[in-house]
Amino acid sequence: MPDRPAISLDRLSKRFRVSKREPGLRATLRALFRREWVEVEAVRELSFAIEAGERVGFLGPNGAGKTTTLKMLAGLLYPSAGKAEVLGFEPAARRPEFLSRIALVMGQKRQLSWDLPALDTFELNRVIFEVPRADYRRRLDPMIEMLAIGEIVRKPVRTLSLGERMKCELVAALLHGPEILFLDEPTIGMDVSMQLAIREFIRDYHREHNATLILTSHYMEDVAALCDRILVIDEGRLRFDGSIGELVRRIRPLRRVAVRIGAGLDPTARAELEQLGALVAGEPPRLALDVAPERVPDAVGRLLALPDASDLEVHDAPLEEVMRELFARRGAGEDA
Amino acid sequence: MSERERVGLGRKLAAMWRLGFAEATAYRASLLVWVLTTSMPLISLVLWRSLAEDGPIGDYDQRGFDSYFVAAFLVRQLGSSWVVWDLDRQIRTGDLSTLLLRPIHPIYHHAILNLSALPLRTLLAAPVGLAVLIATRGITLAEDLVLLALAIPAIMHAWLLNFLTQLAIGCLAFWLTSASALYNVWLGAYIVLAGYLVPTSLFPGGLAELVRVLPFHAALGFPVELLVGRLSPAEAAAGFGLQAAWLAVMGALAAVAWRRGLRAYGAFGA
Repeated sequence: MPDRPAISLDRLSKRFRVSKREPGLRATLRALFRREWVEVEAVRELSFAIEAGERVGFLGPNGAGKTTTLKMLAGLLYPSAGKAEVLGFEPAARRPEFLSRIALVMGQKRQLSWDLPALDTFELNRVIFEVPRADYRRRLDPMIEMLAIGEIVRKPVRTLSLGERMKCELVAALLHGPEILFLDEPTIGMDVSMQLAIREFIRDYHREHNATLILTSHYMEDVAALCDRILVIDEGRLRFDGSIGELVRRIRPLRRVAVRIGAGLDPTARAELEQLGALVAGEPPRLALDVAPERVPDAVGRLLALPDASDLEVHDAPLEEVMRELFARRGAGEDA
Repeated sequence: MSERERVGLGRKLAAMWRLGFAEATAYRASLLVWVLTTSMPLISLVLWRSLAEDGPIGDYDQRGFDSYFVAAFLVRQLGSSWVVWDLDRQIRTGDLSTLLLRPIHPIYHHAILNLSALPLRTLLAAPVGLAVLIATRGITLAEDLVLLALAIPAIMHAWLLNFLTQLAIGCLAFWLTSASALYNVWLGAYIVLAGYLVPTSLFPGGLAELVRVLPFHAALGFPVELLVGRLSPAEAAAGFGLQAAWLAVMGALAAVAWRRGLRAYGAFGA
């Protein structure tokens, strides 16, 4: 099915009924007899399509509906309304042919057997996912080598560090060569070097298998490094669909021009710069100016003309700031 | 299911069995505790045999009690399941998601996990059983070899009945905060009504007949009585009929609860 998208959502919605009560003994006793329920709309009429081989990042604040959407696409949750199709299957039917072609990795959940070495779970997955033994070895050995977990896979999982465990989780999830990979916060709680290793591993897997990748992460570096398309979801709705560059330019159209300076600015120079754009840093050792794209050449000229100016940088606003601004606009009901 | 699919399923179940057995070995200490907590029939044995010192109670003399309660201990070990606790936890914490993502039904996982611990559990229970056998100088088993052999399927049905009952109650965790607490109520009734503390035939007239058609008796008392030769062929046939009926009821309840429950599953915490 070359012309059909790998994933498509048509007005997909999910509502949860959640019990609610105030803290304290009185409220506890009242809840024994009369429980109050609230309906939470986690995902509201979400529609989009993802082609095979795309790398898509889901962004949004906590509770935006990102993970709920992933769980519906992986077949864990039944939609309340609307339709989802993944590889031509209805995910919630959880047909074995569908489950054999996807993987969902959750940073806060484990599939590895806690008291046994990861190799035992790998072996179980080999049989359950019907991976031929030759393919299993061909996939497993390079993964173990790349993640440097030759010894780690032989130790009981409970003795591993968070990062080591996540490496093993990834291997367990990828041994059957899934065409679609759902990653929910795969690097959560990890140090920078571990994040880098995992990011690189995922990128390699994508390159080798042309897998479709959907990622949620609180670390913007993960998203920036792995995804070429961004879907911003907030309060269960799609707020933006496009590239990181487009998102940044739409929310923060100004570009940031920065230099290293040796001494403070005199009032005249400061006033001149402020006419060009917004001065976001004005004290040594760094001076940064947010300016409209057409004013970048002017700003560069002015900044370089300052005494002791060095290390010129011109870039878009950082993704973190863009996201902060995007969600700050939410209160005003403004769309991206 | 085609021949190829059957072979594939067999291979998958065998792999799950190996992992389950390895896990049971890792948890051997807690398994031993389980064996000890289910040794209530042996305490009953001591109580009832001292009560029967002066003469039989109902149709049980001392040797009758010895045989009954040693067999009850054995059937309790072999008929054990703990899926209700696993399922309750997995549903509440979202751990069930891992099983739902595998291309094999999660119920296979639970069934195999429970069954694969049985050999080790039996091994751990063996010294206890052996010590009791020596102390009581042996027990009496069914003389009719056919009836004795039929105790094997009866014990298998007892296991399946326990498993399905726990599955049906465990599925309530899709809607309730703690289904295992509800199972404790069931377990309370089981301890009193299954023939675990008192053989059900010693219950007062009228009550005995009622208790013996309940699922509790089908899950313990019936295979025990078959094993120790207390049933006629007609009574054995009736017992198998009751087991089949309760298996159908519990199986249907578990299937409905599972199917509806999945729709309510929130996969929280995951």
